[in-house]
Amino acid sequence: MRYITTEGLTKTFTVRKKREKGRLLREKTQVRALDSVSFSIEQGELVGSIGPNGAGKSTLVKILSGILTPESGAVTVDGLVPWQERRRHVKNIGVVFGQRSQLWWDVPIVDSFSLLRDIYRVPEGDYRKRLDELTEALDLSSFLRTPLRLLSLGQRMRAELCGSLLHGPKLLFLDEPTIGLDAVSKLSLRDFLQKENRERGTTVLLTTHDMEDIAALCPRVMVLGHGKKLFDGALPDLLSRYDKVRQVTVRYDGDFTLPALPETCRLTREGADCKITYEPASLPTGALLSLLQGAGAIRELTAQPQNVDHLIAAMYKEMDL
Amino acid sequence: MRAYVSAFRMRWKMEAQYRGAVIGGFVCQMLFGLILVGLYRALYFSKPQPFPFGQVSTYVWLQQAFFRMLLASDGDLLDKIRTGSIAYDLCRPVHLYTYYYVRVMAQKLLGSLMRAAPMLVFAALLPPGWGLLPPAGPGAFLTALLGLLLGLLCVCALENITMACTMRTLDSRGMQAMMNLLMMVLSGNVLPLTLYPDSWQRVITALPYAQLLDAPIRLYTGQWLLSDAPRILLRQGAWALALIAAGRFFWHRNQKRLIVQGG
Repeated sequence: MRYITTEGLTKTFTVRKKREKGRLLREKTQVRALDSVSFSIEQGELVGSIGPNGAGKSTLVKILSGILTPESGAVTVDGLVPWQERRRHVKNIGVVFGQRSQLWWDVPIVDSFSLLRDIYRVPEGDYRKRLDELTEALDLSSFLRTPLRLLSLGQRMRAELCGSLLHGPKLLFLDEPTIGLDAVSKLSLRDFLQKENRERGTTVLLTTHDMEDIAALCPRVMVLGHGKKLFDGALPDLLSRYDKVRQVTVRYDGDFTLPALPETCRLTREGADCKITYEPASLPTGALLSLLQGAGAIRELTAQPQNVDHLIAAMYKEMDL
Repeated sequence: MRAYVSAFRMRWKMEAQYRGAVIGGFVCQMLFGLILVGLYRALYFSKPQPFPFGQVSTYVWLQQAFFRMLLASDGDLLDKIRTGSIAYDLCRPVHLYTYYYVRVMAQKLLGSLMRAAPMLVFAALLPPGWGLLPPAGPGAFLTALLGLLLGLLCVCALENITMACTMRTLDSRGMQAMMNLLMMVLSGNVLPLTLYPDSWQRVITALPYAQLLDAPIRLYTGQWLLSDAPRILLRQGAWALALIAAGRFFWHRNQKRLIVQGG
């Protein structure tokens, strides 16, 4: 079942620049945050949305959650138009804005949760059960009665997530939920999201710059850049397009003569180490190895694992973002 | 309904935490009250006015006691608007105007009650000619209470209009400075409205700012008779409705053209 559909979604912001000397009026420029974006998401899908800063990812989330009104294009989420039937729509969604807070600064977080219970009209029994579940899964029990201002960033993020899930939303928007989290919190958060998606069938749209989040959670990714949708599909498919180079480091025993390598390879020396970047498509790894072996006695050889961030950087560069 | 009651209670709880601010406000307002009463005593003794001085000192004390009802903005809410955290409130299944209105009301009500209670006791204990007089009668007291409640509705509505403007300008300071000036002068906090020339009073008492504290205080002191009370309360109620309608209109319009800045 199609849960979210967007068709030709466009949103423009007017940005006023600082007034230039000798001019009476400030110059205005139009920034197209979203430029006819179309896609659909099925119920129960876990979709990641990536793109460089300013690509329109957050704008997309804000439109889908009914906060902003687009200029043109059609959107339905569970059969509703978010900005037209805002209150009916938001009842079923949960949102986490990683850089903002929904909990009250000066009061214990459990009090903020009670307010959310009343806002979403969650029956007391369901609320208790859900809060226990979330307290356990997100490990909140030690600071439920602590005011928000005294929590660490990681604790706060977990509390924020709990706040967004208390009413059991069918759809969850996560805008950089792992920002500033340590490795342990990140991993437990990922586990939790996966479980939430698997067991409750929650549809999740995850916006992040953390490629590991995407790799661990999202079978499907959308790439946004300059307000346009540039890719929509599986992460491995996306990576294989840019995943053309490999890197090995060799260290020789004693003297060696550097082998003559084809032009597609790049070789750099760092002390006793030779770092070689090559394209397996033009020079298969086996062929490279025999070239290297011919040059001297290899003591160590390390193959660098592929780095998703580098690939994404290469992709953004190629897409001219 | 439950959501709004809950939001009100939450803001109430938060306000109750700021006990240091209560003591500070108490001391400051006591000082202001004493200075103002002293000033008006001097004014009276050089040129007696047509109504008893006790009414003026009572007026000053009641104004000072409920000062927090007039001049207090919810810093949290203004920050939310400035930083964009309001985005969270925008994706709640609540009527936003009402949600913010009850928060403002909880803050103003508890904030002023916490200060007013000790202040009114102190003011009542001051020597004759300086302090607070009891209400003109039980009827005057009850109508004054009702008037205070209507005044609270008006001032919360005014605050929500300021907030709606902040949603446009993002910084509340300019708007607040202007609103506060109008509020202080036209509500009778700086100079009791009873001391303005009669012709001025006819205009000033019809304005929304006079509905906040001036109207209930005059009912309390008996300057406005019980027979006037229905007319006064009706005027307050009408202003409350008008200000709420205006605020709702601004909020609604803002929501349509909203931009949430920064990520």
